[in-house]
Amino acid sequence: MKTRIALALVFGLFLPLLAEQAIGADDNWRNLSPREKDRVQRNYQRWQSLPPQDKEHLREEWSRYQRLPREQQDRLKQRYNDQRRDRRED
Amino acid sequence: MKHAMPLDNACKNFEEDMVLYYYGENSGAERRRVEQHLSSCVSCQGFVADLNRVLRPMAEQQKMPQTFWDNYYRETVAKLAEQSERKYWWRTWLTPVRGWMVPAFGTLAGTVLVVGLLFGKGDLSSFVERPSRKVPQEIIADSNQLEFFRTMDMLESLDKLEQQDGTKSELQNTHSSRVRLYKGVA
Repeated sequence: MKTRIALALVFGLFLPLLAEQAIGADDNWRNLSPREKDRVQRNYQRWQSLPPQDKEHLREEWSRYQRLPREQQDRLKQRYNDQRRDRRED
Repeated sequence: MKHAMPLDNACKNFEEDMVLYYYGENSGAERRRVEQHLSSCVSCQGFVADLNRVLRPMAEQQKMPQTFWDNYYRETVAKLAEQSERKYWWRTWLTPVRGWMVPAFGTLAGTVLVVGLLFGKGDLSSFVERPSRKVPQEIIADSNQLEFFRTMDMLESLDKLEQQDGTKSELQNTHSSRVRLYKGVA
């Protein structure tokens, strides 16, 4: 009886923590828009078929991008989105 | 005050035998020997009479009425229950919510917890929408990797974007040239 109660207490305490953790892990994904999710999926598929040197190059570009100042990152992102929008409109 | 009177003294040699005689536990020969002594010894007669006076009421079973035994049973059960309650003192907290209320309360608490967690995130619908099977969980769980795949298109044209932006530093130019050279060799 005592064992059962102890088990119930342990599960009762840890279940919310585990649920919170599981929900938190998917937060990043859930916060993406459907278009962004689609982009991530396509890019991941493409990434898998890239040759190793291209993967390496992209990793380096990613590291470099992360080291840029925040405002420059935003500016580049904005420019890229503008160009994409222009291409879609053409 | 008859009961408070001390026992008469028996003869030292017969004292133990007298007790056995009283309970009828002597052997035949022994019994005869004691009876023979008793017929001539007043002290020992007094001793046996006193034994009879003191021990008989103690051995007698008092006849108790049925109500006594009913009460006795009820009190015993109540005391056992009380003892058990004392062992699980925390159960007294649950006394008002016994029976069907316990699972009902558990279900309600679980529902409130889940809904609270979901609404706390501000997006209930997205919880139902599970990540695609095409993207592994380790990427979805890692915000850095997720951001990498989100911006991968842009990273491929980062050089060009920087040139257009006109803010590319000398160091960055050197780095990109190195990468281009590397790609050319590869």
